[in-house]
Amino acid sequence: MNETQKENNQIQRFSDSFKQALHNLNEAPAFAKSRYQTEVFRLATALMDSDEGMSILYECAHEFDSAGVFHGGPWERATELIPSLVKAGLKGEGVYPTVETLSELRMLAIAKEKYNHKEVSSVEARKFLIRTIALNLELLFAEPTEESRKRPKVFARAFRLFTLLKNEISLDGIQKQLLEEIEFLIAQRPIQNIRLQDLIIYVGKLVLSPQTEIECKLYSYYKAITAPSVHTKKTENDSVKYRSLLLELDEKQIDEEITAFIDSNFQKIGLSHPCFAVLIRHLCRESPDRIPHALSLDDSGQAEFEKNKEFCLTLIKVAIFPSTANSIYGFSRVLQRNLLSRSEIKNGLKKLIELDIHTDMKKLLMDNQEKNSGLTANSILMAGTLSVLGQPLGVRQGNNPTCQAARGISLWSQHAPGFLLQIITSAARNNLVEMYFEATLLKSNELIEETPLKLDNERLDAVSLIVVPHLNKIYNEMMKRASYRGEDQHKWVNPAFYGRWVSKGFACVFDVTLGKITHYKDFVRRFFATHHPSFNGGNQLVYPNPVGIFVTDIHGKLLGLHAISIQRIKSFDNKLRVYFYNPNNEGRQQWGNTIKTTVSGHGEKPGESSLAFNEFTSRLYAFHFNPYEEGDAYAVPGKIIEEIEDVAQLSWGQSYTWEN
Amino acid sequence: MDEELTIQFVSEKNVHGKLALLGYSVEAIEAAHRLNYDFVVVAPEDFVPILEKDNITALGWDFNKISEDSYKLHERLSALNVRFTVPLYEETVEWAGMINSRIHNNPRIFNKFLLFRDKAMMKRKAQMSGIRVGVFEEVDNREQAFRYFDRIKQVLNEEGEDLASPIHFKPTQAAGSVGHVAVKKKKDIHELPEKSFPCLAESHLNGQEFSVEAFINNGKVYFMNINQYVHLGYSQFTPASNFLFNQYDNILSEVEKLINAFDFQYGVIHPEYFIDNESNLNFGEVAARVPGGHIFDLINRAYGFDPFAGMILCSDPMSTEEELRNFFPKPKEFKGYAGNVLVYPQRKSVERLEITDDLLDHPYFEKHSMFEPVNPKVAERVGFGDHYGTIFFFGDQSQEMKETLQYFEKEEFYV
Repeated sequence: MNETQKENNQIQRFSDSFKQALHNLNEAPAFAKSRYQTEVFRLATALMDSDEGMSILYECAHEFDSAGVFHGGPWERATELIPSLVKAGLKGEGVYPTVETLSELRMLAIAKEKYNHKEVSSVEARKFLIRTIALNLELLFAEPTEESRKRPKVFARAFRLFTLLKNEISLDGIQKQLLEEIEFLIAQRPIQNIRLQDLIIYVGKLVLSPQTEIECKLYSYYKAITAPSVHTKKTENDSVKYRSLLLELDEKQIDEEITAFIDSNFQKIGLSHPCFAVLIRHLCRESPDRIPHALSLDDSGQAEFEKNKEFCLTLIKVAIFPSTANSIYGFSRVLQRNLLSRSEIKNGLKKLIELDIHTDMKKLLMDNQEKNSGLTANSILMAGTLSVLGQPLGVRQGNNPTCQAARGISLWSQHAPGFLLQIITSAARNNLVEMYFEATLLKSNELIEETPLKLDNERLDAVSLIVVPHLNKIYNEMMKRASYRGEDQHKWVNPAFYGRWVSKGFACVFDVTLGKITHYKDFVRRFFATHHPSFNGGNQLVYPNPVGIFVTDIHGKLLGLHAISIQRIKSFDNKLRVYFYNPNNEGRQQWGNTIKTTVSGHGEKPGESSLAFNEFTSRLYAFHFNPYEEGDAYAVPGKIIEEIEDVAQLSWGQSYTWEN
Repeated sequence: MDEELTIQFVSEKNVHGKLALLGYSVEAIEAAHRLNYDFVVVAPEDFVPILEKDNITALGWDFNKISEDSYKLHERLSALNVRFTVPLYEETVEWAGMINSRIHNNPRIFNKFLLFRDKAMMKRKAQMSGIRVGVFEEVDNREQAFRYFDRIKQVLNEEGEDLASPIHFKPTQAAGSVGHVAVKKKKDIHELPEKSFPCLAESHLNGQEFSVEAFINNGKVYFMNINQYVHLGYSQFTPASNFLFNQYDNILSEVEKLINAFDFQYGVIHPEYFIDNESNLNFGEVAARVPGGHIFDLINRAYGFDPFAGMILCSDPMSTEEELRNFFPKPKEFKGYAGNVLVYPQRKSVERLEITDDLLDHPYFEKHSMFEPVNPKVAERVGFGDHYGTIFFFGDQSQEMKETLQYFEKEEFYV
C-alpha cells in the first residue's frame, strides 16, 4: 500500500468514525451532550489535517447544530458570534481551534444555503465570513509567522479552513471590510500600530490594479507605506540606497520627494515610510529650513520649530531613524503642542539623550526593537517618548491587565508631561519609580508583589515597556494601603496616583462593606449634576476625569471593571456624547443593549472613543467630581434616571445585589 | 437484553418512589434517564443550575462537610419520595449508607458502609471473615511507619538497608490509589507527606493483580466481570485472559465470601485481588462505587451493556430476579477484549501532542481522548487520576491485547 492510499484509508476511517460520533451525539439527551462532544471534536481535529477531511466536515456542517456539537458552549448560538473573536478561537489552546473551525463551517453551510438557520440568514452568514476573512488575512494568505512555526498543526488547520472559505465564497466585499478596518484603526491612532501596518501590506495582495473608489483608497494607503515617492520606488525601499540617492538629487527633486511624503498623508495615518526618516535626516544636515514643511506643521508648529531649531535637529539626530520612522508623527505632534518651549520638557528630553540607562532597562528596550537596526537604547527611548508626548491618546495596555498604568501615562502626557519625563528618566536610569501615598514614600523597587506581573511586551510602546511594571506595583500597593476603609479605594488612590488635579469628590455605586449596589439613582443624579452641561451649572471639565466603568460583553453581561478617562463632553448632531480615552487595544466595543462605543464618525478626535451620554452613564461605576462645582442634581428628570437604572440593572447589575 | 422490558419494569417501580444518584456523573444520569427512572441528582451546589437547565431534579449538597445537620439530606430526599440511592464516588459511599440505614430503619447498614471507607477496617473485617490478606498494620504516624518497616525487614531476614520488595502505604480514607506510596528505602519514610497518616501499611504481594466488578442485588451476584491489570494504574483490559478467566468460579466464591463478610446487599462492589501461581487469592481492598480507570467503559465495550444502568438496577431493592436476568449477559458472552491505556506524560514539561500512525493504524485501536496540552508544565499525579487522556482498544485476542497495551503504554504521545 503506498502512502497516498494509506492516507486515504485513514481519512475514510476518520470520516466513518466521525459520522458515527456525530450520530451518537445527536441521539444523546441534552444533559449528556458534553460526553459525546469530546469524541466528535477529536475526530474532527483529525479530519482537519487534510483538505479532503475538511471538506467532509463541511459536508456534515448542516447537522452540527441539531446534533448538539456546540451545545452548552460559547458557540451555541450562531447569532451571538462575533468575527473579531474568531482569531482568538482559531489560535486558542486545546479544543478551542477545533470548535471554532466547526463553527465557521456551520456559518459557511448557512452562507451557501446548505443549512437553513432559523435566526441567521445566508446573507448575514456571508457577511460574517467576509469580515472574519478581512480580520484574518494572515490566515487567508497562509503567511508563516513566529507563532505559526511554533504551532504548525494548529495553523495548518486554520490555513486549510481559510482555503476552503476562499474556494466556496467569493471574496467580493472583502475590500470594503478591509478599508473599514484600516480606517477604524487609523482613527484610533495607536502608537504601536503593527496591526495597521500588516493590514495595509495585505492590500497589495488583494488589490492588484485599483479601479473602484474603495480600491483606490486602499491602494493609496498601500502606496503610502510601501512606495510613497518616485525615488523610494526606484530604490525599492532600500533606505541605504535611498540615502545615497538623495545626495544626488537637486533641490527641485528633493522638494518633490517632500511633497510625495506629505501627500502620503502620514499625518492622517500616523505611519511613516522608513525612507521618510532618511529624508528628514538628510534635510537635517542639508537644509533644515525645509523640515517644518516636510512635517506638515501649521504656523504654530513652525514657530515652535524655529524657536527651538537646534534642539529639534538634535532630537531628529537622536530619535528619527528608518526603524523608528513612525515617531516622526509623534515628533510633529510634540511641535504642534509647543511642548519644547516649556523648559521642564526641553530639559527632560535633553536628559534622555545621554541618560545612563540601567542594564535591565537597556535589555528590555533593545530586545523589543527590530534586530540589527543599530540603534542605542537612548534612541529607542527617545523615539518612544516623542510618540507618547505627541500621541497621548495612542498609549495602549497591550495584552496586559494594566489599564491604570496606561491611563496614567496618557493623562500625564496630556497634562503633566514634565512629570511623565521625570518618571521615564527615573525608571530608565534607576529602575525605580517613586510616589507618595498619604505622606509615605513608595519606592517601586522595594515593593514586593504577591503575584508579580508578567508583562507581555508584544504590543507595548517603549515608554510603557519600562514604566508600566513600576506603575503597576505602586498602584497595587496604594490599593492595598487604602483597603478596609469602607469605601472604594480609588477615592484615595486616584488623586495620589494620577496627581492632585484629580478632584477630591468621589462617587461610587458600591457599598464596599455590604458588597451591594446602593443609592444608584443618587449616583446617576450626581453624575448628571457634575458632568451634564444642562445640570452642572456650566462647569466645564478642566482635566480628564479618571473614571471606572463596568465592561460588559455583547449580551450586556459583566466582564469586569476597567479604567478609562473622560476627555470631554460635547454635543454631536444635537446629542450629548461622552468622549473618552480607553487604554484597551480596541476602541470599538460592543457592550450589549445596543451600546457600541465608536472611534470615528461621531466627532471623535484621533484616539478617542465615544458614547451617548446616557449610555455611557449606564456603564459607569465610579467617578471624581469637584464638590464645589455641583449643579442641580434635583432637576434631573426622574424618567431619565429610571431608564438608565433599568439598563444598568439588566446588564452588569445582574451580577450584583441591589439595595434601594 | 430487552431494554423495552426493563423500561416497563422501571415504570412500575416509579410509583413507589424515586432513585437518588449521589454525585455528579453524566453517564449515571444518562443511564437513569434511559431506564426511565424517576430520579434526583444530589451533587455539589455548582452543578445544580446546570442540571436544572436540562429539567433534571437536582439537590445541592456538600459531601465533604459532615455536621450534626448531615441527617437532613435524608429528610430532604424523603420529602422528594426517594426510596433508594446509588453512590457514584468514594466520598458519597458513607452518605448512601446513612440514607439507606434510615430508609430501612437499620443503623447497622451505615456501619457496614463505613467499612468501605476505611482501608484498615475493611482489611480487618475481611481477615476476620477468613479471607486471605497480606501482612498489614494500621499506622498513625512516622515512628510507627519506621517500626513497621523494621519489623518486615526482620521477618524477611533481609541484608542491608533496603527491602527487596516494597512496603505499601495507603492513606486509610483515600479513594483507590490516591496517596498510595511504595517504599523500599527506609529513608523514603521521611519523605512521606504528613497527610499520608493515618494509613494502612502493607507488605508487598506478588502475583497478578486484577479487579472484579460484581453487580449484586439482594446479596446475590448477577454479573461479575474480571478486569486484568497489565500495569496497575496505567493499562488494563476486560474480560481477563484465560489464566484468570479459567478461575472464574474460584474468584466468584471469593467474592461471595466478601459479600457475606460485608453483608453487602445492593449495588456494585469493586474489589482488587492478587493471584499467585498456585491460584491463591489475596484480597487487596474493596470499594462500593463506580470503579476508576474507565473500567465501566471497558465492560460496556466487551459485553455490550451499560454498567451504569446495571449498577442502578442492582442498587434498586425492588428489581426482580427476572428483570436482572434479562438485563445481564452470561460471563462468557463477551464480544472481545476491551482494553485501555491511561496516558500520562513521561516528562516534566510537554509542548504538544503527537499521535503516531502506529496507533492510528493499529487494528485494535478504537479511540482516544488526548488533547493538545494547554499548560506545558505536567501536573503532579494524584492517585491514578489526572491522566492526560485515555486510549481505548478492542480486539479478539487477549495476548495481543496485553502486548498492545504494554507497547503503547511506553510510547510518548506528549513531547
